[in-house]
Amino acid sequence: MSQQSSNCGKCGICLSVCPVFAALKEEENSPRARVQLIKAFREGKLTSSALLKELMAKCLMCGSCTAACPSGIDHFEQFMETRADLIEKEGDLLEIRGLVFLLAKEYRLGLAAGMAKAGQAVLPEFLQKKIKVANISVDRFPNLNTKPFRSTVPEIIEPEGKVQGTVVYFTGCATNYIFAENGQATVKLLSALGYRVVIPKNQKCCSIPMLFHGGIQQAKDNLMTNVECLSGHNAEAVIVDCPTCGSALKKEFPQVIRKYGEDATKADKIAAKVTDIMQFINNRRDKLEELIQQGGKAKNDIITYHTPCHLRNSFISAEPMLRKLEAINFKPASDANSCCGGGGTFFYEYPAIATKMAETKAENAKRTGANIWLTDCPMCQMNLEGRLKPEDGIKMMHPVLYLSSLL
Amino acid sequence: MLSKTAKEQLIAITGKDRFSDAVEILTCYSYDSFLEEAMPEAVLFPVSTKEVSEILQVASAHKIPVTARGAGTSVCGAPIAVNQGIVLCFTKMDKIIEINTPDRYAIVQPGVINGELQRALAPEGFFFPPDPGSMNFSTIGGNVALNAGGPRCLKYGVTVDYVLSMEVVLASGEVIRFGSRNIKDVTGYKLSALFCGSEGTLGIITELTLRVVPCPETAQTLMVTFDELDNTAKSVSDIIGSGILPVAIELVDKVGMNALENALHQDLPTEAAGTLLIEVDGIKESCEREIEKITDILKKNHAVSIIKATEEADRNRLWAARRAAYGVFAKIAPDILSEDVTVPVSKVPEMVRSINSTIGKYKLKGGVLAHAGDGNMHPFICADRNDKEEWAKVEAAFKEIFTDAAALHGTLSGEHGIGLAKTQFLPLVMDEASRKFLTTIKRAVDPDNILNPGKLV
Ligand SMILES: Cc1cc2nc3c(=O)[nH]c(=O)nc-3n(C[C@H](O)[C@H](O)[C@H](O)COP(=O)(O)OP(=O)(O)OC[C@H]3O[C@@H](n4cnc5c(N)ncnc54)[C@H](O)[C@@H]3O)c2cc1C
Repeated sequence: MSQQSSNCGKCGICLSVCPVFAALKEEENSPRARVQLIKAFREGKLTSSALLKELMAKCLMCGSCTAACPSGIDHFEQFMETRADLIEKEGDLLEIRGLVFLLAKEYRLGLAAGMAKAGQAVLPEFLQKKIKVANISVDRFPNLNTKPFRSTVPEIIEPEGKVQGTVVYFTGCATNYIFAENGQATVKLLSALGYRVVIPKNQKCCSIPMLFHGGIQQAKDNLMTNVECLSGHNAEAVIVDCPTCGSALKKEFPQVIRKYGEDATKADKIAAKVTDIMQFINNRRDKLEELIQQGGKAKNDIITYHTPCHLRNSFISAEPMLRKLEAINFKPASDANSCCGGGGTFFYEYPAIATKMAETKAENAKRTGANIWLTDCPMCQMNLEGRLKPEDGIKMMHPVLYLSSLL
Repeated sequence: MLSKTAKEQLIAITGKDRFSDAVEILTCYSYDSFLEEAMPEAVLFPVSTKEVSEILQVASAHKIPVTARGAGTSVCGAPIAVNQGIVLCFTKMDKIIEINTPDRYAIVQPGVINGELQRALAPEGFFFPPDPGSMNFSTIGGNVALNAGGPRCLKYGVTVDYVLSMEVVLASGEVIRFGSRNIKDVTGYKLSALFCGSEGTLGIITELTLRVVPCPETAQTLMVTFDELDNTAKSVSDIIGSGILPVAIELVDKVGMNALENALHQDLPTEAAGTLLIEVDGIKESCEREIEKITDILKKNHAVSIIKATEEADRNRLWAARRAAYGVFAKIAPDILSEDVTVPVSKVPEMVRSINSTIGKYKLKGGVLAHAGDGNMHPFICADRNDKEEWAKVEAAFKEIFTDAAALHGTLSGEHGIGLAKTQFLPLVMDEASRKFLTTIKRAVDPDNILNPGKLV
């Protein structure tokens, strides 16, 4: 471990890509500083403290530093381990602990969502506080699904007509509990393109929030179950609609599973097959254009887009595809690629910084004149939506939702 | 530890938010991109000249050392507070005050990132020529205090050539201004030249008026490979000797290229003994003519392949690879020492040979990169500082490299500065009387030696 952080050349390239550093302009809030702090902590020069924990937490886990790092530092792994140590010693925000607890056992989350939907006073405390305390007002916060998405669809969905192939769909918690419409849209698009969609019933939370908040061991169950149920099926791709879940499957799963001392062969296979839904569609863009034409539902909307960090750093932005699609009127925002500040639970823990970042993005999106603002990540969507007012006349959604509405 | 009074007085200036003396925070201001580290006693983030002046009044009253800091990307330990005291960090004093392209100047606060200024100038069709490899994250204040250079300084000159005017806070807290918005200005001593490269030892820079120039019509980049490092280096001195003035000629040896490729995976020429990146700019026709002449010289020197990149994206990719050069060496060994001895360009082949033979003699892992067109070598060695035996070899090797450069009428540092890294070698290139003159100036402006003590003088 210390071997690895000491291999940071301290060159500072990460300062130029870190969204938190850009907002705060303080070295202590930069990836380079975190790596140095971890080194000092491991060498015993610094002891555990609330401040140290805070400095580790003021990170969006967007992965931009790792993507830019010429020294090949694996920031996520280092931060994850250190946060686990520090949280053990310093504790974590009660609400965040509640979140880890809920995510560790999928059915608890289902239960919590169910109760929240029922609108009872027993709304889980962390959700209640999130709605009241974080930088997003209640009316902008999305409603939870009446029923979890996965409970509303069969495990195997056959396309109409000729079968092009089979894909496995990892829905993620956001689609399952909040944005069921994204799940429906993903299935609709995949079916229209001729794919058989397998949605394994016992898939679990990807566990990124848990890993990030120090719950490495608690995540084990989820990781192993996911790897089992996503394997096989004769599938040519494992589709994700959430870039964060996607980067977990692609990067963290094999690594953490090795850390448990378990066999990571299956995890490696899945990692190689994980494909972002928009990338999957982009590879079949001609067919999509054809389908849109047949559908004849093209609209007069002006579309703009925000690239989630995890999409940019682990996959590719959907922007080039949106630019190329004949059927839509696309107006890029000047800062489409910069971070919105919503990463993980950051917007909840550090609302002031996240708000500042999201406000700038919202301003630039408005400047494009768009009435539809697309983004692939549920956290980005919630964070950005929180900065929009009804009179702005901008609706946010996942690109798949918009594209499926054209079919 | 700062005295209670000093601490209270400082907090009264910046407020609690922009002062810290927590050990966790101080740790983050104990390093730069070099090797040495030292903990300051407090870090402050001023946002105005007035605050800087007030802070220095407190510091001089209590004789507290003050070390200015930009982004902390110096590779010579310049912003390390070796005598403790205060680190004055300029990252929050980062406003571009004015861009005036008709009169060709820009006024900035010291914390503006070089790359941000470039992005603000680009839409106007202008640029600020100094382009250190760290341009996307280092500050203009740091660039000026270290008189930074970069690849295109071959044609355009270094930072000092682009500073028109400065506002400086002296150790006493007094604020002075010199220079003007005019390129021609012989009103008094050329003080900007004194403060450029002064490493924060003479005064704290709080505002800069910089010369900016129009972007050239086009640029073309060649990537050229050789199977002998000697031919690579000789091409450089031949091109410059022939009277052509390219924007940049960068040299990368095999060790350097392999380190880059291992980190970046861009199909870089890892087989070549030496590679040159050559860029010309200007009017399209003259670029083409220059490329022709350069190509002739390259062929005479037995270039193995010559690839032309005209597309902006391809050029940017090549230059981004070059800029990653420092960080990639961290993959080879825990510590990197990269120096920047500079020799007259006709001596480049000789210097490259001598660097290689020195590294070879001590059996170290290293090689050479260079802003070769202006003779600015970047010999680098990757080693482990905890391995005492190996590190002694690294130090011996660099001592030889410095000595060899001095013998070729070269100098210790072309752009990185002296800082903590090279003070002991100054006698190689400056006699006693000349060194004493530096001290005379330093004593006159900072009698209590509170500004970045332990550096340069
Ligand atoms: C990857 C990499 C590539 C690099 N490439 C180059 C290159 O091509 N060319 C080159 O010249 N250098 C290069 N450098 C070195 C370094 O980036 C430059 O010297 C840069 O100018 C330092 O700027 P900074 O803002 O980081 O300053 P810092 O490192 O923070 O400070 C440098 C010096 O400036 C002083 N200083 C800072 N601000 C002020 C102020 N407001 N008033 C007075 N003094 C001040 C400090 O006290 C210190 O002595 C490179 C470094 C890295 C890591």
